[in-house]
Amino acid sequence: MSDLRFDQRVAIVTGAGGGLGRSHALLLASRGARVVVNDLGGSATGGGKSSAAADRVVEEIKKAGGEAVANYDSVEDGAKIVQTALDTWGRLDIVVNNAGILRDTSFQKMTQEDWELIYRIHVLGSFRVTHAAWNHLRDAGYGRIVFTASAAGIYGNFGQANYSMAKLGLLGLSNTLAIEGRKKNVLVNTIAPIAGSRLTETVLPKELVDALKPEFVSPLVAYLCHESCEETGGLYEVGGGFMGKLRWERSEGHCFKLSKLVTPDAVAAKWSAIAGFEKTTHPTDITASMQPILGNLGTAKSKGGGNELIDVDEALGFELPPVTSSYDERDLALYALGVGAGQNPLDGKELGLVYENWGDGFHALGSFAVVPALNAIMSLAKQGKQAPGLNYGLERILHGEQYTEIRKPLPPRAKLTHKARIKDIFDKGKHALVVTEIKTLDESGEELAVNELTAFVRGAGGWGGERGPSAEVNVPPDRAPDAVVTEKTSPGQALLYRLSGDWNPLHADPGFAKAFGFERPILHGLCTFGYATRHVIANFAGGDPRLFKSIKVRFADTVFPGETIVTEMWKESDTRIVFRCKVAERDRVALSNAAIELFSEIPRPKAAEPAATAPAAAPAGEIHAADIFLTLRQYIADHPELVGKVGTVFQFKFAEPPGAWALDLKNGAGAVTEGTVGGADVTLELADADFVGMAMGKLNPQKLYFGGKLKISGNVMASQKLDFLTKIDPAELQKAAVKAGRIPGSTPGGAPAAGPPAAGGSQASMSAAIFGGIKGYVEAHPELAGKVGTVFQFKLSEPESAWAIDLKNGGGTVISGAVEKPDVTLSLSDSDFVAMCTGQADPQKLYFGGKLKLSGNVMAAQKLDFLKKIDPAEVAKAMTSKKPAAPAATAAPPAAPKEAKSPAIFKALEERLAKNPKLAAEVGKLVQFAVSSPDRSWVVDLRSGAGAVREGTDAQAAATFRIDDEDLAVLAKDPQKAKDLFMHGKLRVDGDIRLAHKLGFLNGL
Amino acid sequence: MGRRVNVIGVGMTKFAKPGASDDYHVMASAAGRAALEDAGVAFSEIEQAYAGYVYGDSTCGQRAVYELGLTGIPVFNVNNNCSTGSTALMLARQAVEGGLCECVIAIGFEKMEKGALGSKFTDRTNPVERHALVMSEVQGFTQAPPAAQMFGGAGREYQWKHGTKRETFAKISEKARKHAAKNPYAIFNQPLTVDEVLASDPVYDPLTRYQCCPPTCGAAAAVLCSDDFAKKHGIAKPVYIAAQAMTTDLPSSFEPKSMIKMVGYDMAAGAAKKVYEKAGLGPQDVQVVELHDCFTANELLTYEALGLCKEGEAEKFIWDGDNTYGGKFVTNPSGGLLSKGHPLGATGLAQCTELVWQLRGQAGDRQVPSAHVALQHNLGLGGACVVTMYRRD
Repeated sequence: MSDLRFDQRVAIVTGAGGGLGRSHALLLASRGARVVVNDLGGSATGGGKSSAAADRVVEEIKKAGGEAVANYDSVEDGAKIVQTALDTWGRLDIVVNNAGILRDTSFQKMTQEDWELIYRIHVLGSFRVTHAAWNHLRDAGYGRIVFTASAAGIYGNFGQANYSMAKLGLLGLSNTLAIEGRKKNVLVNTIAPIAGSRLTETVLPKELVDALKPEFVSPLVAYLCHESCEETGGLYEVGGGFMGKLRWERSEGHCFKLSKLVTPDAVAAKWSAIAGFEKTTHPTDITASMQPILGNLGTAKSKGGGNELIDVDEALGFELPPVTSSYDERDLALYALGVGAGQNPLDGKELGLVYENWGDGFHALGSFAVVPALNAIMSLAKQGKQAPGLNYGLERILHGEQYTEIRKPLPPRAKLTHKARIKDIFDKGKHALVVTEIKTLDESGEELAVNELTAFVRGAGGWGGERGPSAEVNVPPDRAPDAVVTEKTSPGQALLYRLSGDWNPLHADPGFAKAFGFERPILHGLCTFGYATRHVIANFAGGDPRLFKSIKVRFADTVFPGETIVTEMWKESDTRIVFRCKVAERDRVALSNAAIELFSEIPRPKAAEPAATAPAAAPAGEIHAADIFLTLRQYIADHPELVGKVGTVFQFKFAEPPGAWALDLKNGAGAVTEGTVGGADVTLELADADFVGMAMGKLNPQKLYFGGKLKISGNVMASQKLDFLTKIDPAELQKAAVKAGRIPGSTPGGAPAAGPPAAGGSQASMSAAIFGGIKGYVEAHPELAGKVGTVFQFKLSEPESAWAIDLKNGGGTVISGAVEKPDVTLSLSDSDFVAMCTGQADPQKLYFGGKLKLSGNVMAAQKLDFLKKIDPAEVAKAMTSKKPAAPAATAAPPAAPKEAKSPAIFKALEERLAKNPKLAAEVGKLVQFAVSSPDRSWVVDLRSGAGAVREGTDAQAAATFRIDDEDLAVLAKDPQKAKDLFMHGKLRVDGDIRLAHKLGFLNGL
Repeated sequence: MGRRVNVIGVGMTKFAKPGASDDYHVMASAAGRAALEDAGVAFSEIEQAYAGYVYGDSTCGQRAVYELGLTGIPVFNVNNNCSTGSTALMLARQAVEGGLCECVIAIGFEKMEKGALGSKFTDRTNPVERHALVMSEVQGFTQAPPAAQMFGGAGREYQWKHGTKRETFAKISEKARKHAAKNPYAIFNQPLTVDEVLASDPVYDPLTRYQCCPPTCGAAAAVLCSDDFAKKHGIAKPVYIAAQAMTTDLPSSFEPKSMIKMVGYDMAAGAAKKVYEKAGLGPQDVQVVELHDCFTANELLTYEALGLCKEGEAEKFIWDGDNTYGGKFVTNPSGGLLSKGHPLGATGLAQCTELVWQLRGQAGDRQVPSAHVALQHNLGLGGACVVTMYRRD
C-alpha cells in the first residue's frame, strides 16, 4: 500500500508548538506537506508568549528534511497566520485548528474572563483562522479543514463549562462549513481527541496522560486532511489507539395531532414514545430531521376533534377485526324462549320458533340477528380489541338505541363472520353517542344482517363536534294503537334470556343489581326488543317470522322480570309498524321511538354473486365452478380425512368466465378459498364449464389436458388426486346452484303436474317431474286411493314448491300447490324428496336426521311406502319426458336406474351371427361378458357352427370380459377401443386376454 | 480400454421396514465397515467415496462416510432415483478403471418413509413429468401409487400383446419370496403362494399388493480396486467387473406411446447389449442375475430386455422355472426388490453384494451352483439403467 503523501500541499497547524499540534505538524511534514507551525508560545492557561515552541518544531521538521515555517501570532489574528502560508509558499490547502487553552473551574467559581478567554481562543480563534483561509480554499477548489472539539463538549465534564461550550460550538461551525464547502471541495471535519497534552495534564491522572500519546491522534487528522479522503461534516472520537465516528440518534418520537391542543399531560402520557429508544432514526441533515414534522402536517386539517374520552379522528371509521361465530337450531330456539316464545306450547305459530322439527317449518325470529353481532363485539372488547380513540370504560356507556336489519330470513344454522366499524360519533353536548355498525356475513360471504348499536357515553361530549340528527323518529301517531299486545314476562325471564350470550350480572345477580341502584336484577333491553318483534309479527305478519326485515328501538327505561310488557302498535303501511313498549305495572315506556319493518314477501335467495363467481354473462340454469366450490366447502367439512389423504393445495384458474379458487387439502382442516393462494402444489387452468364437467364426471381431465383445454403447472402428478371431486353428490351441487339463484325453483301453484314444463327453457325442478310420474302411477292404480286413504301435502324447499297427493278422494290424484285439509304435511328439501322417491333415502332416516318434518297425522306418513312400489323406470320415464332439454352442464339427475344397453347389443349379435355364420369360426371360442351397472351376464359361444348367444354364465369360457354397460356400448361401436379400454382398466379380461383382440364381431352393434 | 476393476469387498445391513431401522449414517457406515472388513482394507487406504441416496438433504454422504474416518478424501453424493446405488458403483469403477485411483468405496443407503413413493418437491417441474404424460395418454391417471400405475400399465400392455395371465405375474412374487426365505438380509422371509399373491389387495391390475416392492431402509457398500492394489494386498482371484454400461431415456421412451418402453425396456436392452459386446459374453454365459423387480411386471419385462428369454416368451420362461434354481438362470436369488426390499440408494450396491457373494461361493443356502458369470440390472425412472457383468475366474 502506498503512503498517503502531502507533497506540494501547504498546511497550517495552530498551536503546533507542542502536544497534539506538534504531532500533527511533524506527521504532515514527514509526508511532504509544507507546514506553518503556529504557536503563540503561551502557557496552557493562556498567559505569556514565546517563539521558542514554534521554532523548536520547525527545527525538528527541517532536520528531518521537511519544510516548515514558524508563526507566532495568536489565533485571534488568524489572517496573519494565513498570510504567512501565502507569503512563504503562495498557497494554502490544509487548516488544522488545534490551538487551545484551559480555564477549568466549577461553574459557581467561573469568572466572565474565564468564559470569554476560552471563547476567544477556541471559537473566535478558529473562526478567524478559518475565515481568513476560506476564500483561498474555495477559490482553489480544494481544502481540508479540521476543528478540534472534545469529549467534554459532547458529554459535559465537571469544571469545564466554558471549554465544553467552546468545543461544541466548533462542532456547529464545522457542520455548517461542511455544507457550505462541499461544492468547492472544501471538506470540514471535527475530532474530539483525547491525548496527554499539556491541556489534559490537569484533568487526567499522570499514568493515563502518559499512555495517551498525541501520535495516536495525528494519523486521523492527517487522513482527514488527505486529498483521498472525501469525508466531510464528520465527528470523530480519537485517542489511545481508538478511533470512532459519532452520529445523532433520535427516538422515533410521537406526533401529536395538530388539530388538538397538546397539553403537558399529553406529553407525559406519550413519554415513552418521545424518550424511548426502542425505535430510532439517524437523521443526517435538516431535511431528515424535519421528516416527522412534515409528515404530521396533514393532521392539522382534521375537523373531528374530540376530547380525552373520544378522539373522533382516530375512532371514526375504524374497522374492528372480523369475528367468526356460528349458531344452530338450539341457539335460535333458546333465544326465542328467552324472548317469551312458546308460552302456549300448542300454538303452532310459536312452536315454529322453538321446535326444530315443526311440520310447518322451523324459522328463526329475525331479531335474533342482534345476538351473534353483539356477542362478537363483546368478545372483542374482552380481548381488549376496541377502536382506538374511544378511551372510556364500560361504566360510562348505556345501550341507547339498536337497529337490526336482516337481508333475508335467517337460516336454521349458519357460520357467520361479523365485521364491525365505528360508523358515527355525535357530540350531544354533555354526552356523546357512538354508533357501531356490525355487518354479518354468511359462509358464502353474502351479507345476512346489519346491526347498528348506538352507545350513549355519559359525560363524553362537549368538544363542539357534530350533533347528529335531532329529529325524533318513529313517534307514534296521535291516535289509538291499531293493535295492543299485553304479555306478562316470567320472573325468571332474564335468567333465561342471558343464556343467549349477554352475561352481564346486572341481569342475574341481586347484589350486583343493588350496587347499580336497582332493587333487583333487570330484564335485558334486548329481551323486550325480542318480545316486541314477536308481537308485531303476530299481529302484522300473519305470524310468519320470515317476513321480519328490521327493527329500530330506543331503550328508554328498564323492565323488571315478571312485569307486564304492553306493546302498542301503529300500522303506518303494510310493511312498517311503529310501536312502543310500556311496563303495565309502572306505566313507564321501556322502548320508545321504535319501528319494525316487514318484507312485502319473503325474500328469495339472492342471485347476486361476486363477479368472479357469477358474471352477468353466465347463463341461468347452469351449475358453475363457484357452486362446486361452495359445495366442496361442506364436503370437505364432512370429510376431514381428505386432507390427510390428498395432501395437496390445488389452485384453479378459470376462464369463460374468469375466476380463481383454491382448494387446500393439505393444511389444517382444509379450506376452499376464492382467489389465488401462495404455495399451491399444482395449478390447473381451464374453462369454468369444463371444470364443472370434470367435477361431475362428464369430462375426463386427461382428455381435457391433451385437448389443450386444461393446463397444469406445478406438480402434474398431484392432479391425479382430483378423483374425489366426482364423488360429490350431484344433488348437493344442484342445491348450491339453486342457492346461488342460477337454477330457478318451480313456484307453488306453477306448472300443473302433468302439464308442460315451465316455459322459457328454464329447468323445472326434478320433483315436478316426479310428481308427474306419480300422477301417472296413481291414475293407473285407482285401488290405491281406497287402500291408503290419506291426503299428503308436500312442502318442498330449495327450490320451494308445494304438491299434494290425494289418495283419499275419488280415484286419487296429484295436485300442484297447497290443499285445504291434508292429513299430514311433509316438509323437506327438493333433493331429499327426489332421493326418497328414487329409493336413495329412507323417510325414517330423513325424519330422524331432521331433514323431513311432519305435522298433522304423523302416522299417516308411514303409508308412503307405496312410493317405493312405483317402478323407478316409470318415474325415470316420467322424468325424462317431463324434463325440458337441459344443457349438458346441469346437474346429473339423481341416479334413476339406467336402462341396460347390453340386451340390445347381444340380441343384435345373435341376429348377426345367424346372418353371417363365418364370424363364429374367426374366434372359435366360448367367451362370456360380465356386464355391470346394470349387471347382466352373457355367454357368446363361437366354438362351432354359427355360434350362439345366451344370457347367463359358463364355466368353460375361454375368456370373461368384465365391462360396464356404458363401456360395452362404446366397445360395440368400435371394437378398436378394446385396447384403450383395457389399458384404462375399464375392460378386464379373465382368461385368454388375446381373445379381446377378436371382438370385431361386436362391431357396429 | 481401461484397467480391470475388482470388487474386493462388499457388505450390507439387514433391510428393514421404515421406522424399524437405524438412522442413515449408522446403516451406511455399518455397510461400509463390513465391506472394508470383507476386503481387508483400512479406510485410510480409500482414496475416494461415492455415496448414493435419494431422500435426504445434501451431503448425507459425508455424514455417513465420516463415521468411517475423517481422512479428508473426496466424497461424491450421488442421486439417480432407483438406480442410485449402481450409479455410485459406476462412478467408483470409472475412477479406478481410468487410473485416477487405486482403491475407492461406493456406499448406497436409504431411509424411507412409509407408503408409496411420491414427489417431495411440489413447487417445481416433476422430473418424471414426460413419463407421466405418456402414461396419462395411454391409460389415464388413477388414485393408485404412480409407480405402480406405470409398471402395472406396462404389465397390462404386455398382457394385451401376449395374453399373459395374472397368475404369471404372481408366480414371480412366489419365486421371490422363496428365494428371500433363505436370505437373512431380506425384509420378507415368509413364503407366499400364487393364490395368496393374487388375493392380496389390488393395486393396479394386474399388480396386487404382494407384487410391489415395499418401502425399505438399508445400506450396502462395495470396495473397488485396481489389479495392482489387489496384488499388493495379496487378494487372490477377486471378483471383477467384466463390463458395465449406463443408458438413459431414448426417444422411444416417449414416442410411440408405449408403457413398456416408457418404463425403460429399451434402456435396459440397450445397456445389456453394450455389456455383452464389451465382455464378449452373452446371456447364455450367465448363471445368476440380480435384476430390478420393483414390480413383478418389470421382472417379467426385464427377462426379455436382458435377453434371458425371447420376446413374448417370458410367460413360458416363468412357468418352466427357468428363472430359479434348476432352471436356466437364477434371477434374484437374494429375493430381489420384491422380497429383500428396495432402499432406493442401496439397491444397486445390495445387488452387487449378492452377486459377489454368489461368485465367491459364499451365498450359503441360496448359493447358485458353479456361478462364475453374474449379471446385474438396476433401473431408475426418470431415467437411468445400469447393467453390470461380474466375473470370477
